[in-house]
Amino acid sequence: MAAKLRAPGFYRAGTFTLGGVVFSLALTYLVRMSYGHGRFHHFIAPNAILTVSLIAAPLAFLVGLGAFDYWFYWAAGKPTRPEDHSSHGAHSWRDYFRVNTDHKVIGIQYTVTSFFFLLVGGLMAMLMRAELAQPGSQFVDSNTFNGLFSVHASLLIFLFIIPVFAGLANFVLPLMIGAPDMAFPRLNALSYWLLPIAGLMMIASFFAPGGSFASGWTAYAPLSDTAPIGQVFFTLAVQFAGASSIATALNFLVTIITMRAPGMSFFRMPLLVWANFATSLLVVIATPFIASSQFFILLDRGLGFNFFNAGRGGDVLMYQHVFWFYSHPAVYIMMLPGFGIVSEIIAVKSRKPIFGYRMMAFSLVAIVVLGFTVWAHHMFVSGMQAWIRIPMMITTAIIAVPTGIKIFSWLATLWKGVLHLDTPMLFALGFLTMFTLGGISGVMLAMVPLDIHVSDTYFIVAHIHYVLFGGSLFTIFAGVYYWFPKMTGRMFDERLGRMHFWLTFIFFNLTFAPMHIIGLQGMPRRVADYSSQYAGWNLVISLSSFVLGASILIFVYNIVSSWRGGPRAPANPWRGMTLEWQVSSPPPIFNFDAVPTVVGGPYEYGVPGAVHGIFKGGAEVKPAPAGTVARPARE
Amino acid sequence: MEAASASVTTADHEHHGPPPANRSSRVEAQTLGMLLFIISEIMVFGAFFTAYFFIRVVKGDHWFPFHGDVLPVAVAGVNTAILLSSSLTMHWAQTSIKHDNRFGLKAGILSTFLLGLTFLFVQVNEYVHVGFSPRDHAQGTIFYGLTGLHGAHVFIGLTLLAMVTVRSFRGHYSSKEHRGVEVPGIYWHFVDAMWIIVYSSVYVL
Repeated sequence: MAAKLRAPGFYRAGTFTLGGVVFSLALTYLVRMSYGHGRFHHFIAPNAILTVSLIAAPLAFLVGLGAFDYWFYWAAGKPTRPEDHSSHGAHSWRDYFRVNTDHKVIGIQYTVTSFFFLLVGGLMAMLMRAELAQPGSQFVDSNTFNGLFSVHASLLIFLFIIPVFAGLANFVLPLMIGAPDMAFPRLNALSYWLLPIAGLMMIASFFAPGGSFASGWTAYAPLSDTAPIGQVFFTLAVQFAGASSIATALNFLVTIITMRAPGMSFFRMPLLVWANFATSLLVVIATPFIASSQFFILLDRGLGFNFFNAGRGGDVLMYQHVFWFYSHPAVYIMMLPGFGIVSEIIAVKSRKPIFGYRMMAFSLVAIVVLGFTVWAHHMFVSGMQAWIRIPMMITTAIIAVPTGIKIFSWLATLWKGVLHLDTPMLFALGFLTMFTLGGISGVMLAMVPLDIHVSDTYFIVAHIHYVLFGGSLFTIFAGVYYWFPKMTGRMFDERLGRMHFWLTFIFFNLTFAPMHIIGLQGMPRRVADYSSQYAGWNLVISLSSFVLGASILIFVYNIVSSWRGGPRAPANPWRGMTLEWQVSSPPPIFNFDAVPTVVGGPYEYGVPGAVHGIFKGGAEVKPAPAGTVARPARE
Repeated sequence: MEAASASVTTADHEHHGPPPANRSSRVEAQTLGMLLFIISEIMVFGAFFTAYFFIRVVKGDHWFPFHGDVLPVAVAGVNTAILLSSSLTMHWAQTSIKHDNRFGLKAGILSTFLLGLTFLFVQVNEYVHVGFSPRDHAQGTIFYGLTGLHGAHVFIGLTLLAMVTVRSFRGHYSSKEHRGVEVPGIYWHFVDAMWIIVYSSVYVL
C-alpha cells in the first residue's frame, strides 16, 4: 500500500487531492486569522475554502498522478536522463488511465473523454426538452433549468467540440506530417489530463450550495459577480480547459513548424494540418482573453476587486468585450478543424484532387485574421457605442466570403467525381448542406436590424445548433468514422453507420428548423416556461429531439461493438494518399521505421504518375487505380 | 499501397525508440514554443490593458492622483531601472556561456536573480505603503490588477531563473548545450519589456 501511495497513479493522486483540500483549509484559515477577523467562526469561510480548493486540489491531483514528475526531477537540478519511452504506447486498457506520452494514446484519451461529455451534455438537453415539451413547469424548477442550459453549453463547447478536434488531430496530425510524435509529448499528456478535471468541475457545480452556475456559458457580469458559489466552478473549469487548449495549440504549432517530413513544404501539407495550424493560431492568440475575463470575475468575487462593480467605477460592458474577443474567434476554433476533416474526406471519397488547394489554405488564414474583427456583433443590443455596430456588421458579412470559397471548392471537388457514399462521406455531405444553412442564418444575424429583432430568441438557438451540431458535430462524426479503422485497427458496421446518419440528419432538422420560426415569432431563449402559442412547435421539437438523442446510442453501440469485435481493418481501407494511411492499422508504436520523403501533393487522386511520399525501400504512395477496393479481412 | 504498409510492420520497436524526427525548421522547438507562449502571455496583458482602457479612456474617469491617492512614481522608476539592468546581466550570462565563460554565466545569472528578487521586494513594499486597496475604487483595481499580474510573471521568471542558477553552479551548461539558459532568458526579457509598458501606462501617463 505504501508503495502504491508513493508511485505515480490514482492512489497517490487521491492522497494528494486530499492534501490539496487540507492545504486550502489551512491557507484560508491562516490568511483570515492574520487579517484579524475577530471571532472563531470567521476563520472558517466555506466559500473561500471551496474557491481555493478548486484551484489547489486539481493541481495536487495532477502532481499525484505523475503529470509533473519529470519536470520536478529536472527542476531539482539533477542531470537530464535519456528518454526511455517507458510512458509511451498502450499495452492494455489500463495504460489509457495513466499519464501517457504517446500521441496516439492521448488522441484516443481525448476523443473518448470528450464523447463522454457529449453524452452528459446531451442528457441535459433531453431534460431541457422534456421540460419545454409543454408550457408550464413539469420536471425542473427555473433555477435548475438555468443551470442545465448553462452546463449543457459549457460542457459541449469547452469539453466536447474544442477538445475532440484536438483529440482527432492529436492522433492523425503527427502521422500525416511524418513525425514520430508531437514536439512536446509530456506537455501533450498534461493538456489531456487538465480536461477531465474541467469537465467534472462543471458537472460537480450541481452539488454546490445555491445550485449550478446559471448565467449561461457567457457568464455575463455583474450576474456572475454576485451569483451563488456554483459560478466559481465555471470560472475555474474554464481556466483548466483554456490552459489545456493553449498548451495543445502551442504543441501543434511547434510540431507543424519543426517536425514535417523532408520535402513536405507548407503547400504539400494535407488540409487537416493547415486547418489545425490556423486553429492553433486562433487558440494561442484568443484563449488568454477568456482566461482573463474569468480572472476578473475570480478577483471580483474572491478579493473584492471592482472590475465590474459599477458603484465603485467598474465597467460591466468591458466583460462582454473581453469575453467576445475570445468567444467569437472560438466559433472558428470550433469549425476550422472540421473544415480540415471534410477536405480530407471529400477528396478521398470523390477520388479527385481537392479543388483550389491553395485558396482552401489561404481562406483558412483569412478566417483567422477576420475572426478577430467581428466580436462586437454579439453586442448589438448591449448598449455599447452605436458607431461600432456598422463596422462590425460589414466585417461579419465579409467573413462569409472565405467561408464561401471553401464551400464552393468542396462542391467543385465533388463535381464529376466518383462518389463513394459511405458513412464518413454522408456525414461530410450532411455537413455541407447544414453548415451552409447555418452560415446563411449567420449572415442574416450580422444585419443589425434583424439581429435586434431576434436577439435572445430561439432564432439564435437554431443558428448556433445549425453551425455547431449540423456543422461541427457532423464533421466530428465524419472524422471519427473516417479514422476509426486507423485508430482501432477494426472496421465499423457500415449499415449501422448509415442508419445513424439518416436518423441524425432527419431528426436534427426536425428539432432545430422549427426553432427559426418560433424564434422569429419571439419565443425567448433560456427561459423554462413559455406562452401557450408556442406549444405546438415545442412539442414537435421535443419529440424530435428525443429521437435525435436516441440516435447517438446507435453510434455508441456501433463504436463499442466494432472496437471489441469488428473485422480487422486493412492499412488503407479508403485508398487515401496521406501518410497516416501508409502505416499499419493501428499504427506501430513509433509510427514510422524511417521518416518518409514527401515529393508531391497529398490529393492527386486520379492524376497519372502522381506520387505523394516515398518510403524507405522505395515504396511510393501513388493514387490507387480506379476500381480497386481494399477489402477488410475477416477474422 | 499494400507494399508501402508492408514496409512498416507492427513488430516491437520499443527498445530502440522512434526514428529521429526530421528538422523542418531552423528554429529550435523549445525556443519556438517559448515565443508562442509569450504571444499568449501578451494577450493576457492585453485583456488587462483592455480593462485599463475602458476605465480610463472609454469611461474617461480620473486617474491617479485622485482622492488623495498618489502613486510613488519615483520609487517605481528606480525599480524600473533595477529590472532593466537585470535584462543586461541576463544578456551577459547568455553571451558568456556561448563562449564557454563559466564565470560570466554564474555571475550574470546570479545577479539577474538577485535584481529580480529586489524588484519583487520593492513592489511588495510599495503595496504595503501605497495607502489604498483594490476594494476602494476601480482605479485601485486596475493598478493592483496590472502590477499584480506583472508581479506574478516576475515570480514565474524568478522560479525559472532559480533552476537555471542551480544548474549553472553545477556546471550543466556549455557552449554546445546552453538552451536551458537561452529559453528562460527569452521569458525574462519579455517580463522586462512588459514592465516598461505597465510602468509607462500606469505610473507615467
